[in-house]
This record gives sequence, structure tokens and C-alpha cells, in this order.
Amino acid sequence: MTGLLGLAFDKPTTKDFVFRCLSGSARVGGVAFCLNWVVLMLIIAVTAYLLLFFLAFRKPKVVPGKFQLIMESGLEFVRQQVVLQMIGPEGMGFLAFLTTLFFFIFLGNILEVIPGTGFPLNSRLAFPLVMALIAWVVYNAVGIRHHGFFGYLKLVVVPPGAPAWLLPFLGLIEFFSVIIVRPITLTLRLTANMIAGHFLLAVFFLGTLTLATGVPYVLGLVSFGLALLLVVFEIFVAGLQAFIFAVLTASYVAGAAASEH
Amino acid sequence: MSGTLAVLVLAAQSADKPINDLTPKPQELVIGAVAFAIVFAFMAKWVIPRVNTILEERRQKIQGDLEQAEKTRKEADKQLVDYREQLSGAKDEANQIIEEARKTAEAMRKEMAAKAEEESKEIVARAQEEIRAERDRVFQELKAQVGELSVQLAGRMVGESLDKDRQLRLVDDYIEELTAMAPASNGNGNGNGNEEQG
Repeated sequence: MTGLLGLAFDKPTTKDFVFRCLSGSARVGGVAFCLNWVVLMLIIAVTAYLLLFFLAFRKPKVVPGKFQLIMESGLEFVRQQVVLQMIGPEGMGFLAFLTTLFFFIFLGNILEVIPGTGFPLNSRLAFPLVMALIAWVVYNAVGIRHHGFFGYLKLVVVPPGAPAWLLPFLGLIEFFSVIIVRPITLTLRLTANMIAGHFLLAVFFLGTLTLATGVPYVLGLVSFGLALLLVVFEIFVAGLQAFIFAVLTASYVAGAAASEH
Repeated sequence: MSGTLAVLVLAAQSADKPINDLTPKPQELVIGAVAFAIVFAFMAKWVIPRVNTILEERRQKIQGDLEQAEKTRKEADKQLVDYREQLSGAKDEANQIIEEARKTAEAMRKEMAAKAEEESKEIVARAQEEIRAERDRVFQELKAQVGELSVQLAGRMVGESLDKDRQLRLVDDYIEELTAMAPASNGNGNGNGNEEQG
């Protein structure tokens, strides 16, 4: 490096999202499993999830303590803002599913700003994809159960009030949009947000290291300040993306259950 | 199938394109699905039912409390009405007592006034009696003096001394006569009459 800069700037690359196996790998049913950083974090996330809810509701009280109240507020938020808002009272059967989506995604996201981990699980395409596929199965199943297979197909491909000669085009577009694009957009929206967030934080924190050890040092402070702001921003994004995923899923379920568009 | 996928993934990784760093790994798909299933089962079987139970308990408690409060409020209202009734009853009673007291006082006042009047009349009557007695006494005295004076005067005028006792008897007789002539006339009239006669 030039004399002007201190530490070399390790620019973040997509390699930051690939992790070596920490253990030997074992093949189960044709899939190779090994413990790596991602799996470890997933185990941590799941454990944290179970612990949080277990501790909050181990001995639930009619007059809640602080912790119970906080966790209850979280559930209440999903109940009010996702289930009741998007589906209505008849959507209460989906409360467990949607709260799981919201909190699991939120935990997977918030790892990004937790010191020591600093890596969002949901930047691994596989996790949002799994959840999007589950959402896809759920809302299509709801549609088929409400309207029958062909009834649901008609609901999807025939927009009410469309002129007959447009139906072939509209039908294709609708089918493509509802059946094929939805899970893809769900997956990509979340994954891309998390990858971008991770890059942003990586750039500014690594930049801080480089600039603060070089000349002029003050630029390091600027970079550090921006990095801290971005941490706050990423916390916001973590909640927002979890909310969007849950709300969109709820909306798809509501649309599939609806008698009309 | 998944074996093929794994091979593909490995091949892609060896090709060292950035996009391959981001594609899903087969183990992540499986572990992700398992993780989600665990968390979902925990939510559906344990958390949500417990929370619903506690919410229902809370709802019932709040409802019970509200009903209790409503009951208490109604009771309080009823008691207030009772108290008001009692209070107005007490007021009526008090008014009645006051009225009675006033009547009694009035009766007593009248009685006392009557008694006082009677007493005063009595006093007046007694005074009049005394006055009359005094007047009679004075009249008797005057009668004696007038007689004496008349005899003296008549003796001087006549120049000769009459027998004093006889003269006084004469005057007395005369006055007796006068008194007998006008027994109903008052003291003054009598006095005047006597002086005129003298």
C-alpha cells in the first residue's frame, strides 16, 4: 500500500458470505452436512428464539412483568398489524405461522448488528427461500381449500371485470405473478436487503480501521460516525424487512381466501 | 437429484463467480427448513396457546373487575338515594318539631299574657281600693277640720262663743244630712257640696 494509508483496506467481497466447514462433513440422504459459521449462527438464533419465548411465558401472569410485557407486545404487534390488518379476525389460525415468520426473520436479521456475530443469517439466500416456499405452500393451500383447485385457479388467472379478449394475456400475467414471482420476490427482497446491509456495514467499519490508522486520521472518525448511524439504520431495516415479509405473506393468504379479488 | 445439485454447486464454486458465493447451499435449505419447523412447532404448540390462555384469563379478570365495579357503583347509588330519603325525612321531622315548639311557645305566651293582664287588673283594682280608702280617710279628716274651722269662723263673726260641743254636733249633723241627700255622688261633689254648705 501507499505510505498515505495505514492498514490495507480489505474490501468486502461476496467471499464474506462463504464459510469453511468447522467440522468434518457427513452425508445424509445425498446432502453433505457440516458445521460452519452459518449453521452455528442458525443454532444460536434458534436457541435464542426458544429461550426468549420460553423465559417470557414460562410462568405467564395475568398482570405481566416487564419481560413478559415486552414479548406480549411483540405478539400483539403481529396480531394487530399483520393478522387483523391483512386477514381479519378469521385469520387468527395463522397467528402462530405469521409470528414465527416475523420473529424468526427478525432474529436472523438482527444478528447483523450484534457484535461478535455481525452476520445476518438471511443474507444466505437459502433461509429466505425456505420461508418463501413455505409461505407459497400455505397461501396456495388456503386458496385450494377455500375454492377447490379449479376454483382457485380461476380466482388467480381471471381478474374480475377484465374484457374477454384481454383474458389470455391477463391470465398469463396473473398466473406468473401470483404463482411464480411471489416467492421469488419475497426471497430476493429480504436476501438483497441483508446482503446490501452487510456490505454497507463492512465498508464503513473496515474503512474506519484503514482511515483511522492512516493520514488524515479524522476521516476515520467520519467513517466511524457513519458506521454507527448505519447500525441504527440496519436495526430499522431488520425490523422492517421482517414486517414486510410477514405482511405480504398475510396479504397473499387473505387474497387466496377471499371470495373475490 | 440433490446429489446432482451438490455437484452443480461445487462446480459453480470452483468456477469462482461471485454469484455462486450467494446461491443457496443444500445443507442450508435443509437445516433452515428444520430450524423453521422447530420454531414454528414451539410457537404453535406452546407459546400461542399459553399466551391465549393468559389473555383470556386477563380478559375475564378485567371483565369481572368491571362488573364488580359496576355492582359496587350501583350499590353506592342505591345507598345515596336511601340516605337522601332519610335526610329529607329527618328534615320534615325537624320542621314538625320546630312547628310544635312554636305552637307551644305561642300558647305559653298567650297564657302568660293573660295571666299578666289579670294580675295587672288585680293590681289596678287594689290600687283603686286603696285610693278610695285613703280618699275616705282624708274626707273624714277634712270633714272634722272643716267643721272646726266653720265653728271658729262663725264664733268670730257672731262675736259670742257658742257652746263648742253643741256647735260641732250641729255641723256634723248637717254634713250627715248632706251625705244622706247625695249618697251616689263622688268625693269631689261631696267636698264641694260641703264647702258650699259651710
